[in-house]
Amino acid sequence: MKKLQKPRGVTMPKFPSDRRTRVALAPALLLLFALSGPLHAQSQPPVPGNPDVVTADDEFSKQLRDLKKSFADVGKQIDDSTKAIDRIKNPEEGRKSIEELREHVGKLLGAVADNGDVSRLGALALSRADEKLKSLQQDTRFKPDEKQFLIDKWRELRGSTETAIRDLDGARKDFAELLRTLQTNEDYIDELMQIREHEKALQVIHQLSDGIRDASVKLQKLLGGIKPPGA
Amino acid sequence: MRARGAAAALAILALAACTREGGSGYVEIKTVPSTARAPALYIDADRIEALKSGTTVLRQPIGTAKLQLDADGGKITLCQFVVKKNRITTVTVSSLDRPPRCQCGRTGSGDPRTCIG
Repeated sequence: MKKLQKPRGVTMPKFPSDRRTRVALAPALLLLFALSGPLHAQSQPPVPGNPDVVTADDEFSKQLRDLKKSFADVGKQIDDSTKAIDRIKNPEEGRKSIEELREHVGKLLGAVADNGDVSRLGALALSRADEKLKSLQQDTRFKPDEKQFLIDKWRELRGSTETAIRDLDGARKDFAELLRTLQTNEDYIDELMQIREHEKALQVIHQLSDGIRDASVKLQKLLGGIKPPGA
Repeated sequence: MRARGAAAALAILALAACTREGGSGYVEIKTVPSTARAPALYIDADRIEALKSGTTVLRQPIGTAKLQLDADGGKITLCQFVVKKNRITTVTVSSLDRPPRCQCGRTGSGDPRTCIG
């Protein structure tokens, strides 16, 4: 194997080789790792009057675009799990698959939960549009046609934000329903296994894949339907 | 000695990171009738924002939480619910009863006022 060579004239940073120093550094690194999660998840609050700072509606649109991408990834995982469920030969394996599916659906539901970042940003974007419309109505700086143009644009943005929020509400309802279906089926399979009705449990597992397939189709439709405001 | 202390700190931090990353489920709060003006509800100390069409789905850390209601002279506990990892617990609050009452999909074997998903 070829050894990596240090470029000439470049001083490579030296990491402490002393064992005690490394042990002492480990908690600090762990702390940094532990903190990086929530810091990344938090979104920047909009600063009024500063055009360089991302506004609530921009941030909402960005989050929606990211969400569509993650929906597509999870949608593929759900499809793969459904195919695997069709081939399952024993209930224990089926239970494990349902548990994995619950994790995928849980991710989707977490993304659209009412106390999640996307919902919060949607509400913020909507109230910003309302405030803007209210202030523009009273604004005397612009000519009537300019003022009307701005009002129309903000009305348009408000309308598309409202539509996106409605789509998210629908997604929340669908994902919650799918999660409930998975967990009640899992519980039923568990009960069937306790009374050694393994054949019946397998039947329930295979029937479940049809329900999940329907949910996957709904997810695809949802993906096509969500339009970030201003896009 | 220092190494032992550092190892302990490392273990605590690792545990904290695992707990935060690993444990969340969902609670669906419904109010019936959905048209009724919903009373101010709290999950432990956090106020639940206005329920859209009488329903809200919230991400919650796993464990037991209290559903409380604003009443004269403080909050009253309506019921407790158990949140399990990647599971959804549905709690319906009936405003038809005075005081409002929790209706659970499934109840705990011990306390009938504990909802389990």
